[in-house]
Amino acid sequence: MAIEREQLEADVLIVGAGPGGLACALHLADLFEKHTAAGKTPALSAENIYVLEKGREVGAHQLSGAIMDPRGLRELVPDFEKGAPLDTPVTGDAVYYFTEGESFKLPITPPPLQNHGNYVVSVSKIVKWLGGLVEKKGINLFTQFAGRELIYEKDGIAGVITEDKGVDKNGKPKDNFTPGYELRAKVTVLAEGSRGSLTKEMVNKLRLDGLNPQIYGIGIKELWDVQPGRIETGFVAHSLGWPLTTDLYGGGWIYGMANNRVSIGMVVALEYKNPLFDPHEAFQKFKTHPTVKKILEGGKLVRYGAKTVPYGGWYSMPRTYVDGGLIVGDSASVLNSQRLKGIHTAIKTGMLAAETIYEALCKGDTSAETLSTYQKKIDQSWVKKELWEVRNFHQAFHHGLVPGLIQSGFQFVSGGRGLSDPMHSEPGYKAYQKRNRSSAHLVDQNFRFKGDGKLTFDRLTDVYHSGTRHEEDQPCHLIVLEPNICVDRCVREYGNPCQYFCPAAVYEMVTEKGAPKLKINAANCVHCKTCDIADPYQIINWVPPEGGGGPNYEGM
Amino acid sequence: MKILLVTEQREGKFNNVSFETLAAAQQLVQHTKGSLSGVVIGKAVAPLADQLAAYQLDEVLLVEHDLLDKYTPDGFSLALKQVIESVKPDLVLFPHTYQVRDFAPKLAASLNKGMIGDCIDYRYENGKLIFVRQMFQGRTSADVVFTGEAPWIASFQASAFRADLAAKHAAGKAPIKSVAVELKPEQIRTKPLELFREAKQAVDLTAAPILVSVGRGIKAPENIAMAEKLAKAMHGEICASRPICDEGWLPMDRQIGSSGQTVAPKLYLALGISGAIQHVVGMKGARTIAAINKDQNAPIFEIADYGIVGDLFEIVPALIEEFEKNA
Repeated sequence: MAIEREQLEADVLIVGAGPGGLACALHLADLFEKHTAAGKTPALSAENIYVLEKGREVGAHQLSGAIMDPRGLRELVPDFEKGAPLDTPVTGDAVYYFTEGESFKLPITPPPLQNHGNYVVSVSKIVKWLGGLVEKKGINLFTQFAGRELIYEKDGIAGVITEDKGVDKNGKPKDNFTPGYELRAKVTVLAEGSRGSLTKEMVNKLRLDGLNPQIYGIGIKELWDVQPGRIETGFVAHSLGWPLTTDLYGGGWIYGMANNRVSIGMVVALEYKNPLFDPHEAFQKFKTHPTVKKILEGGKLVRYGAKTVPYGGWYSMPRTYVDGGLIVGDSASVLNSQRLKGIHTAIKTGMLAAETIYEALCKGDTSAETLSTYQKKIDQSWVKKELWEVRNFHQAFHHGLVPGLIQSGFQFVSGGRGLSDPMHSEPGYKAYQKRNRSSAHLVDQNFRFKGDGKLTFDRLTDVYHSGTRHEEDQPCHLIVLEPNICVDRCVREYGNPCQYFCPAAVYEMVTEKGAPKLKINAANCVHCKTCDIADPYQIINWVPPEGGGGPNYEGM
Repeated sequence: MKILLVTEQREGKFNNVSFETLAAAQQLVQHTKGSLSGVVIGKAVAPLADQLAAYQLDEVLLVEHDLLDKYTPDGFSLALKQVIESVKPDLVLFPHTYQVRDFAPKLAASLNKGMIGDCIDYRYENGKLIFVRQMFQGRTSADVVFTGEAPWIASFQASAFRADLAAKHAAGKAPIKSVAVELKPEQIRTKPLELFREAKQAVDLTAAPILVSVGRGIKAPENIAMAEKLAKAMHGEICASRPICDEGWLPMDRQIGSSGQTVAPKLYLALGISGAIQHVVGMKGARTIAAINKDQNAPIFEIADYGIVGDLFEIVPALIEEFEKNA
């Protein structure tokens, strides 16, 4: 049945209310205000800027460590220190190397991990605050609406179609069926964050890939309330080593926040060899290290979440402009993987996109040629300078921690060039070593990590603390393109890694009438996108579920 | 502006949204200094026309036909098309009900007109009528105007106006006029069956003193019957954890837990439920919790008052036998 959709037209449509998307919206509104005050034409109004956000409310799907370099926010909101919900300035930092049971503190903190002048923040709170500023400008910010499909026109895009609401499991309309809107805009900004579903599709379809494929990490985080005096407010620690082996790229973090709150987490690159490696389990073990345990012991888990991180950097940046479209923030690969920071660059690219769009609207031309000034603006900004110096950083660790440290040392003294430049990389899922099991028996799940329920938890308990919630009667938003591969090839070749890489226990192999079957607990999904990235056959397609579904990352 | 208000009735009773829309229509007539006709449509609905005539209207139009006895989209749209063509209103107003959603677009299309459905308000500015509709689930509203020639067709959302503000007729009673319509049986393509109300099978699990709850340990849908038998023998209700309802082995309204219902029965018997926190938050308030699970480390035993480590397929039949013996 062809659905007749309501159409709306805007000047600018921004998909995703994260730091990049909201910075774009806010800066545009500022530029429009100055434009109007100066009596210039054409008439431009903030009311013609639309922002879509799939979360229940602004900030609900925002997750980061987070230590924020305030450089971006200071440019966007010069007096941000007065109003922004900054948790605490960084007061001290340390880097540890963990072995099982021991920890060694590095005598000096490597410069990229020095955080003087930065703030420990909850990115969810920062984004919620930014959302308030955006709405005050009269911008239409629609939460609980996701961009489900792109409208392609010419050599680019002309808007998005939001998801249909009120569709049942089998795809049939329910009583409350509401067709998605067709939102058309002169410029559509993709600000979907890491592995955006529309960005992924557009980059593939219009062949916008960068030099390297994008490489991702998975970040798993818990927020704890701990006993007073366990960690200094503003003290930030990073760790390398145990429980990660040296062939894994990743590490842990512990940040002391205000009021005895602790942000603790671990990032691991999704390019490991063992298909049965379980990042959630590694993170749980990390908490049992004496150095970590003595901070958390007697405390209480407040919240849990997971999100992927785009590590690829400069050489993984897709083409950022098309006819009628721009890509900003994590979707545009502007995270600095060496400093593990991307909020500042997301904000800055959002602002540069706003300046580009403003000029294009004044000119009445939003073609790729006009919008290409966005890339030029990035090239001339500190974003390029910062990313260029670390352009080969992540790639250097392809062969493990030790060669990586040596290579990155060369890079450090040569302004990022290192021993070879550009260093190429492969998509992470290609790193899996096949297990080639002889039988098609499922890998026994009875020996999975269970946790003690106090310091460590199983995935279901953690998922509960993510606050994730979805309308149950809706089509599965995790689309397995060739389900036969799971039960036929994957079970033998890799042992179904989806059961291991998913930090929310979404994927489960079950036996039904003697045959293996993939069961997808889509309601557990925390929207981290790991499955879309790490599946060895690349047959999982993550699409947004009905708007409003997903985690509740308040305070994360 | 000449306004035609179409009321909705079923089995000789008005749908109350009709009066809300009447209140809106009365306001509109005042603003536009026009006239208002109210339509009552059906078979043998003269008493309803009488009832409507007590309100402030210029006339009540009684549209009766044998083929309008039961609602059909064909019958109602064909009849109203004839009424509209003879009365020639500028604006036709409907209450936005399920029935109107069903036939009004068809009627509009047969007149080659657009329709503005589900409005929450209107404004009359400089001789122009503007309708207000909600978009993005009420997060914003849009002004919509008709661009073509009259008649225009619009409907108002339930609760957009207050039925109690519909004014009674100043002179006591509006005149009632019959409008004849021609319908042939072969024009009605749908054959209405007996009206029925969907049995509200939603059991109130929160009121059940005894609940037998099944989890993954039940293994297959055919084993649910065994648990149901036990529930019956114990005079309790059956319910389940999420995976069971997710698979469709039991309806979703029997799901206990964070994404289902929260219960606090006298006795909660958990069969093959591991006791994930998502489930436990929905039943931990039970006065007595008993659990059967083959895994002695299952978290359900941490909150259970009584626990049996064992195979539920051996234990449940034995329980059924005992309960039935003592029944």
